[in-house]
Amino acid sequence: MIDKTEENTLETKSISFGYGKTLVLEDISFSIQRGDFVALMGPNGSGKTTLLKTLLGLLPPISGEILLNGRPVLSYGPKERAKLIGYASQEPSFSFPLTVKELVSLGRYPHSNRFQDSPEDEHAVEEALRITESTSLRERKFTTLSGGERQKVLIARVLAQASHLLLMDEPTTHLDIYFQLHILETLKKICREKNITIIAVLHDLNLASLFADKALLLKGGESVAFGKVQDVVNENSVREIFGVEVAKKIEPGQGPQFIFLRRPVP
Amino acid sequence: MTRIKGWLIILTILVISTALALGTGPVDISLWNMSATDKLILFNLRLPRILSSFFVGGGLALAGAIFQGLFRNPLADSYILGISSGASLGAATAIVLGFTSPLAIFTGVSFFSFLGSLAALALVFYFGSQNGSISPFRLLLSGLGVGLFLSSLVAILMIMAEEELKALIFFFMGGFSTSSWETALLALVFVPVGAWIAFYYARDLNVLLLGKETAQSSGVNTVLIQSVYAITAALLTSVSVSVAGLIGFVGLIVPHMVRMIFGADHRSLFPFSFFVGGIFLILCDTIAKVVIAPSELPVGVVTSLWGVPFFLYLLKREKGEYGI
Repeated sequence: MIDKTEENTLETKSISFGYGKTLVLEDISFSIQRGDFVALMGPNGSGKTTLLKTLLGLLPPISGEILLNGRPVLSYGPKERAKLIGYASQEPSFSFPLTVKELVSLGRYPHSNRFQDSPEDEHAVEEALRITESTSLRERKFTTLSGGERQKVLIARVLAQASHLLLMDEPTTHLDIYFQLHILETLKKICREKNITIIAVLHDLNLASLFADKALLLKGGESVAFGKVQDVVNENSVREIFGVEVAKKIEPGQGPQFIFLRRPVP
Repeated sequence: MTRIKGWLIILTILVISTALALGTGPVDISLWNMSATDKLILFNLRLPRILSSFFVGGGLALAGAIFQGLFRNPLADSYILGISSGASLGAATAIVLGFTSPLAIFTGVSFFSFLGSLAALALVFYFGSQNGSISPFRLLLSGLGVGLFLSSLVAILMIMAEEELKALIFFFMGGFSTSSWETALLALVFVPVGAWIAFYYARDLNVLLLGKETAQSSGVNTVLIQSVYAITAALLTSVSVSVAGLIGFVGLIVPHMVRMIFGADHRSLFPFSFFVGGIFLILCDTIAKVVIAPSELPVGVVTSLWGVPFFLYLLKREKGEYGI
């Protein structure tokens, strides 16, 4: 299944997107190799979610091009595309009592038959539950789960859907520190074990530096920096995009640590 | 409860309630020794009445289940969203002004009732959405507003109507006492069509429960699915209103009862809601016939009188799985 010959899983060539005359994304270019874990970072309103939706093909860019496995993303049919890219939005409001297994099975939509799940679907669902360590939750109602459990299940759903590339919008927001680590470890494991590419919107500088391979920093709809996370996320870039003074400490054998020094730069 | 066990129970209850309804009425009929009149009563009065109530109940329950899933709102239903009021206004207009249908398969009343419910749905959607997204509360307020407004137009029509007033009152009282093969046929043709469409796209609607963007990213053609379901639910509502007038709360209560027992997957929710709604209305109509015989209670009174307490019991019993 793993195709090593394809260099770039996803490549954007100076894409811009806007509503009317206001540009929300401007001239963004980057390329991501298979198996990368990319942290998408930037202040609120910097265009992170819009970028994810543009990459998904939900919002067509007004200029530029997005290539998925070397082909324009908009040239894929909706189901064909859904087999390659999966999307987990910020936690959806949800008031119907689907079980965890039913919810994860929804991820099989682009693959499966309208009325009957195939053994392959069953297998994909079980595997997604296993790797997210949510097998024991399978018969529970999604509405009764805790925030952290819900997030695991939502990851399992998108994992059951797509084989290539997962886009996650703030997968760790609203979670306690245990689940923040747990979710990121799960995502990292998915990257490593399955060679799946992940782009996740993350807010925590420390966690992003610890888990991501690369980072894309956005400010005001423009890409400020893109590269290896240890090179890109530093005192200068944090001051520039967030307006916050930090000190970056690197302890041998550990990830870098950011210490917040001061409140917003005036 | 497993689904197979559920189906067995439901089909058993369906057979029993049909038999009960066939045997209930002002005239006692002996199955072994039927006279010509008995046969006439059984096949031209009671059978079409049972079929009408079954398909109207099924249609209302389905319309409610569709609106709840479509708007991701557990409080949605054709009555609360004002769609029934739109259907009534269309029907009342056709009665008062004597409109006839341009299509042979529809009667004038049912055709304009369908137009009315589509128009009401469009209005509710227009006022209930903002920048293309719908919040649950905005939608309910919009539905209440549109529904009240359309109902007051119906009231004006009733005041203006003189000769047709009796027909209108009869129409809005609801119920199946005037059911004939003609009204039954309308429900028999359109409700199964609506039920099949609802069932066919059930999986797409399941994915749509996760939100529009997640559904799109999963490959769901959201515009198609939402339009198909909106039109289907409007059709089911208008057929029910044309056949039996206004009957509230079946669409709200039955899908919730079914979810509490069989879960929220639309692939089982739709067929179960259809059958449970149908059985529920057969039983309610039978009760309506006997309680104050020889006169009849409006069936809507019966649906609320024992449907609501049962629903409240289930509501109290559920253990927070419902997310409401």
